[in-house]
Amino acid sequence: MATVTLKELKKVYDGNVVAVQAFDLEIADKEFIVLVGPSGCGKSTTLRMVAGLEEITEGELYIGDRLVNNVAPKDRDIAMVFQNYALYPHMTVYENMAFALKLRKEPKEVIRQKVQQAAEILDITDYLQRKPKALSGGQRQRVAIGRAIVRDPQVFLMDEPLSNLDAKLRNQMRAEIIKLRQRIDTTFIYVTHDQTEAMTLGDRIVIMKDGFVKQIGTPQEVFNHPANLFVAGFIGSPQMNFFDADLIREGDNYKVRVLGREFWLDEERQGILRSKDMDSRRVKFGVRPEHIVLCHDLALEPHFHATVDISEMMGSSVHLHVESEGQEVVIILETIALPDVYRAGFRHGDPINFTFGGNVIHLFDAETEESLLL
Amino acid sequence: MKFRKRISNAIIYIILSILALIWILPIGYLVLSSFRVEQGSYFMADRETGKQYVMPKAYTLNNYKRLFSAEARKMFDFPRWMWNTFKIAFFTCVISTVFVLFTSYALSRLRFKMRRPLMNVALVLGMFPGFMSIIAIYHLIGLVPGLAQSHAALIMIYSGGAGLSYFIMKGFFDTIPFELDEAAYLDGCTKWQTFIKVTVPLAKPVVTYTVLTTFMVPWVDFIVAGTIMKDKYENFTVAYGLFEMIRVENINVWFTTFLAGAVLVSIPIAILFLIMQRSYVEGVTGGAVKG
Repeated sequence: MATVTLKELKKVYDGNVVAVQAFDLEIADKEFIVLVGPSGCGKSTTLRMVAGLEEITEGELYIGDRLVNNVAPKDRDIAMVFQNYALYPHMTVYENMAFALKLRKEPKEVIRQKVQQAAEILDITDYLQRKPKALSGGQRQRVAIGRAIVRDPQVFLMDEPLSNLDAKLRNQMRAEIIKLRQRIDTTFIYVTHDQTEAMTLGDRIVIMKDGFVKQIGTPQEVFNHPANLFVAGFIGSPQMNFFDADLIREGDNYKVRVLGREFWLDEERQGILRSKDMDSRRVKFGVRPEHIVLCHDLALEPHFHATVDISEMMGSSVHLHVESEGQEVVIILETIALPDVYRAGFRHGDPINFTFGGNVIHLFDAETEESLLL
Repeated sequence: MKFRKRISNAIIYIILSILALIWILPIGYLVLSSFRVEQGSYFMADRETGKQYVMPKAYTLNNYKRLFSAEARKMFDFPRWMWNTFKIAFFTCVISTVFVLFTSYALSRLRFKMRRPLMNVALVLGMFPGFMSIIAIYHLIGLVPGLAQSHAALIMIYSGGAGLSYFIMKGFFDTIPFELDEAAYLDGCTKWQTFIKVTVPLAKPVVTYTVLTTFMVPWVDFIVAGTIMKDKYENFTVAYGLFEMIRVENINVWFTTFLAGAVLVSIPIAILFLIMQRSYVEGVTGGAVKG
């Protein structure tokens, strides 16, 4: 258990390829941090720098109070679970898990006890004498996790541990990691490209792109208050709808023009913009598919006309792709709340009207792509 | 379709049979003739008809006994040569394997300046036949007191350049996922421990291969042993020593004994191969990482 502090961390590979820069993060003791981003964003590199597998080009890394920039991986007291398990194929499951303890010269009895305990947590006691090749992917991943937990490390690193598993197993293991986390209360740093994993597992999420941190926050924060266009689009599935729009200032009041309609912003947003003394400008207007509702009362403003393009029946919800003013809009509708006329489904070309609350819209500067509402 | 397949199978098997025959005949001839009663070299001619024949007329173990007889040992000390060769082979094998392991590991796992040029130079150097430099080596060895005509000299020559044949083992190391090394570092291994506890056990098949090939070298080398030992009879290796038996002046009397010796030489190698073949057969990387 320890805090981890990353100060201005930077990684430059040979040939001046910058993988990570200006990475600042303080991870609290026992916090579960998820690094998430598309491939090549530098999340794995960051994790490997924490592990000591990658040299730090610039900046400082502390585990607890100790500066560990030049400390060998084995002396950092960390454990890591690799994407492809990295089990020692010539050792049995038991030996794999006991390996680190043996190297530390712990007494045999203690080793046996710890391995047994970890095996019970992970439900792999039956496989202890097997070699890794006789295990399925999910079992291997459990062993890899077991190998890490027997060491009782200060920091637990996980590099896309679920991405080699099939979808069903992945969901199952994700739930197990949440349980595991409750049992072995320690600091976690978890890397994934899957925003669902990030949202469900993380206390805080670090969203990265092209080596830069785009936003750090709790799942609620990054979902409800994305700091920029990238985060807004990355978090949430299906992704947020974006439209080109105009922010118009009239005196001390703000309105937007989007999809051929104009309407006033709600008081909260007005306040934020006013406090920033924001001028009229081109903006990207964002609204999440799940925040859009069908509109039956045409007196309601704003409302938008659209025609159905395709509809995807997902069971509990319908993903509706509609076209409005030449732009595609995705809407998620709860099946249970659908009006009777649509119970049988939507057809291509069906006209609909939709609207959304003033409190769910996001505005990003068209140039800088930063949120105007933070 | 079936017919065509049969035809092509027939052709393939005929070719394979011919190849097998070509391969097996000399060995069969060697083994059979080593038990031959009649003396003389190569094919025997029948005394009465003058017709040549291959199959021995009578069999005996005397050729083998003779190899170890005191009388023969005055001229050709086969047991001693055998022991010499075994010693040299053992040390060559151990030292060479270690050299190859180290070289291959360094080239596969460490990144340093000149790594690629070094690999290329080594590859090209390895293509030159070893005996090209034999005269230079002979003189160099003569400069070191006590090394001339010694077994130590032979061991040094055989194993000195072993690192040049890193290629196969490096290729094997390259297939061992880097994550295993990293997992080992995180588990608390030093680089050396990673090498000994993870890499080498995983490389068992290719280590076995290297052990076998390096062990073979002294048994089959003729040129280097001959040049270094010259007239130092008691230090000969079997390959060079046995050849003495089939020099023009000896061949008529010693040929069958020579064949018996040749059969015996293959025994230690065969035993080694039998012991090691288990680890030779199967790769062991299965289950390390996804795959």
